[in-house]
Amino acid sequence: MSEKIAVRIDDLTVAYNYKPVLWDIDLAIPEGVLMAIVGPNGAGKSTLIKSILDIIKPIAGSIQIYGKPYKKQRSLVAYVPQKGSVDWDFPTTALDVVMMGTYGSLGWIKRPGQKQKKASLEALEKVGMLAFKNRQISQLSGGQQQRIFLARALVQNASIYFMDEPFQGVDATTEKAIINILKELRKAGKTVIVVHHDLQTVPEYFDWVTFLNVKKIATGPVKDIFNDDNLTKTYGINYKVSVQQ
Amino acid sequence: MSSAQIEIQLIASVVAIACAIPGTFLVLRKMALITDAISHSILPGIVIGFFITHDLSSPLLIIMAAASGVLTVVLVEFIQKTGLVKEDTAIGLVFPALFSIGIILIAQNANDVHLDVDAVLLGELAFAPFDRFMISGINMGPKSLWIIGTILLITLGLLFAFFKELKVSTFDAGLASAMGLSPVVMHYGLMTVSSITTVGAFDAVGAILVIALMIAPAATAYLLTNDLKKMLLLAVIFGVGSAISGYWMAHILDTSISGSMTTVLGIIFLFVYLFAPNKGLFSVLYRQRQQRIEVSLLTFLLHLGNHKEEEERHVKHLNEHINWQKVQSKSVLDLALKNNMIIIHNDIVSLTKKGKKFTTEAIDYIVTNKNSEIENMKDRFFLFRG
Repeated sequence: MSEKIAVRIDDLTVAYNYKPVLWDIDLAIPEGVLMAIVGPNGAGKSTLIKSILDIIKPIAGSIQIYGKPYKKQRSLVAYVPQKGSVDWDFPTTALDVVMMGTYGSLGWIKRPGQKQKKASLEALEKVGMLAFKNRQISQLSGGQQQRIFLARALVQNASIYFMDEPFQGVDATTEKAIINILKELRKAGKTVIVVHHDLQTVPEYFDWVTFLNVKKIATGPVKDIFNDDNLTKTYGINYKVSVQQ
Repeated sequence: MSSAQIEIQLIASVVAIACAIPGTFLVLRKMALITDAISHSILPGIVIGFFITHDLSSPLLIIMAAASGVLTVVLVEFIQKTGLVKEDTAIGLVFPALFSIGIILIAQNANDVHLDVDAVLLGELAFAPFDRFMISGINMGPKSLWIIGTILLITLGLLFAFFKELKVSTFDAGLASAMGLSPVVMHYGLMTVSSITTVGAFDAVGAILVIALMIAPAATAYLLTNDLKKMLLLAVIFGVGSAISGYWMAHILDTSISGSMTTVLGIIFLFVYLFAPNKGLFSVLYRQRQQRIEVSLLTFLLHLGNHKEEEERHVKHLNEHINWQKVQSKSVLDLALKNNMIIIHNDIVSLTKKGKKFTTEAIDYIVTNKNSEIENMKDRFFLFRG
């Protein structure tokens, strides 16, 4: 693994209505890791991702993507928001949602054309959803909707992928399919950062982990730091998980 | 048809189109209530603009009204952000305050102006052709047609330029923001267009009925399509359709034009709500009935699978055993036969191979939600859809 840093966060503090949800976070995410962000509800996991992506304005601190501010590096980053954050009754099709992934590289006013459509169809095929391209999005199951979101991120063709709970409400088959694609991305040298809830699967799915609970508890390779000590520090109770290495 | 009649219908149609376009996005953003607020709170803007220019169709009125419309949105969001009250309460606090400022301003200065609350709230389409747009003495047509026509052209231009941005920021503001397609700009842009359209339309249909023109066509279109472009087109068609038929209804009944237009809108919505192919009430009821029968079918197939003994599988005994009405038993049997899931031999029902496979897969699907093989059956069975 190269020692290049994909995402560097210094002294990040974020507050909602002057109530801090992230306190003084320092974090360096090396290039090429598949990293889980774990922590209890309200730990600020989604907020951390949203701050990196400039969706939420922090009250202090700096964030750099490959040494430059996010605004200059948008094209290097893809984002999968929580599935529940959008209205799935919106009048649009699976293919159209995936095409939205190309809007960033198109910039203002320009319309997507054949090239964008082709890339979107390829992404749909990769997540096994090509047969559903014209399906209205409310007619898809939870797992299928999540695959559509993943395809939309793939079409962004980024270096760094941020995913907010991609396994929420999906069936076991989809979970396997998604994690396989994430592992492929890592193999291709991409950096993948995932807000994750299921502690049991952390050692199996990820090679890097960050423990977060308003403050950063620990960050590093799963095999070194994924232990009961850090889990207890993060979740506040005496936490035991069977960690299979 | 006299030229005045044609002009009135033309104005009404252009107003309807100009309203339907921002209305579609407002409905999708679940912001229908904010049009209600804007349509009231533009009043102080109009009044102040009128005091300055003394001309009801001056562009300054439109600018002032748009400003107070956007101010409404800003104030609502500001109050909401305090976290002390919810959005609906914030809307309920802001627009009556701004509206009452407008009312007081009118009342205070009512002596020397030709502006009264009725005119603002209700509008009067019938008078629109009397106010002409003159350029160096040449009659260029009704003034309000020019105003709303200009607004429509600007709206269309913005829609074509920013369709992609509007769509993504409406569907997924987080993604739009991460991509640098500022959803905040889109939000306030849409609010500005809505305010300008409202004030452009208020002259013709009044501040209250403009809400109907924005929301009802879009809400009706929403029930009929799964495609944003088609939704926009349908909203426009419904808007124009009810504008023209509303005019003739008013003509025949000798009543208010704007009132008739809104009534027609309501009737169209009701009709579509009842009869829309997928989302309509009857369609939903039919689907629920089908689902009930399909659940019964599964229960029945499962029962057949569980029992080898013949008396448990006799057609006549099924009524008593599974405790169903005759009609239901018949429709379940028919459905099973139609799908080749059972064979009936001497009134003894048996599962076919297909029936056995279907039962196992369907139960598996319902319990675990896992089986992807059910996918090809989904089109035939409501039970397994969405």
